[in-house]
Amino acid sequence: MIKVLNGGIEVLVEDWPGRLGYMGLGMAAAGAMDNLALQLGNLIVGNGAGEAGLEIAGGYCDFEITEDGVIAVTGSDMSPTLGGEGLPLWQAVSVKTGDTLHFSHFGDAGFRSYLCIAGGIDVPEYLGSKSTCLFGSYGGFEGRKLAKDDVVKTVRKNLAGIAGRKLNPKYLPEYGNEWELRAIPGPNSVPDYVTEEGMDYLFGTPMKISHNANRAAYRLQEVPASFWAREDGGKGGSHPSNIVDHGYNMRGAVNVTGNTPSLLIADGPTLGGFVCVANVINADLWKIGQGIPARDKVKLKLVTVEDAIQARKERAEMLKAEDLILC
Amino acid sequence: MEYTLKAHMPGLVARVVVEIGEKVEEGQELAVINCMKTEMSCKTDKAGVVKEILVAEWDEMDVGTPMIVLETA
Repeated sequence: MIKVLNGGIEVLVEDWPGRLGYMGLGMAAAGAMDNLALQLGNLIVGNGAGEAGLEIAGGYCDFEITEDGVIAVTGSDMSPTLGGEGLPLWQAVSVKTGDTLHFSHFGDAGFRSYLCIAGGIDVPEYLGSKSTCLFGSYGGFEGRKLAKDDVVKTVRKNLAGIAGRKLNPKYLPEYGNEWELRAIPGPNSVPDYVTEEGMDYLFGTPMKISHNANRAAYRLQEVPASFWAREDGGKGGSHPSNIVDHGYNMRGAVNVTGNTPSLLIADGPTLGGFVCVANVINADLWKIGQGIPARDKVKLKLVTVEDAIQARKERAEMLKAEDLILC
Repeated sequence: MEYTLKAHMPGLVARVVVEIGEKVEEGQELAVINCMKTEMSCKTDKAGVVKEILVAEWDEMDVGTPMIVLETA
């Protein structure tokens, strides 16, 4: 078990791939914003890759360990400490009852850390997932972010041989402040909705992430008026970004509202009346979760559906690689 | 002695809730940041008197941006 001493900015129970199969009913999949860091953290502590962990956005939080166990912290380096001593990332570490775990705040690169616990987080599955959908107030720990004095149960597990396991450095994800996101054209793009010039802009311009960036959407800087191929949205509305409502391509849709593009992600809307001009590929979704609001930039790179499928296969193979974890 | 309240998150200044000359207590909210579509309270670690307000509503800030200066005992 782990007790929350200070919930910081936003600490959530999230698993992967989240709550699939309900988008048709308007329920977003939720799930880890950086699924790669969560999966690697789980594998380090001997869990199944998709087990639930704690997703820590921003930092400024403290925990007390209330039961001996093994943990691994992955993702953004928030200078975590265990009992006042520096805690290495991407490594399984033994913790004892009474230990305190402190996270400072995100540093130069990356915005979310993951605290994975050997055995996993013991919260009820809701519609097949332990993930919190923050904006629906369901799943995870009481459908909300963690707060002071919450006690999160963990699943007991045989801990023999887990402490000391660590990620092979060659598989460490690369962090920066400009995130290249491979993307395929969306259902509403060139030539009907967006100009050639607009697509060149979309796939050639680093776009700053707005402060309006959360688990539903990461809003980006505006596109120019030359982006649009239409004068208006026809029956969908007065602006060329309007369309008659339809289902959105989730997760990773590049959805444009007015001239403002947004990346629709974990808890994002499942349908609406604005164009989806591109879609970030599954293998690169994790990078969005590490983008720092109001600071980092994203740059879309045009790829094909075949590239996206190949990248997904390579990711799956990587997570099964024999040399992924060093014991 | 002076104490400077700095932004703990990147984002916009939603509002400053104190005025110059106002006496404030440790732990009191001095301003609010808007980030991740959420309002986040900025509280002072020290008591004092508001000497200078360095930000205005809708200013964009990074982590560590100085916001409010207090004269402390």
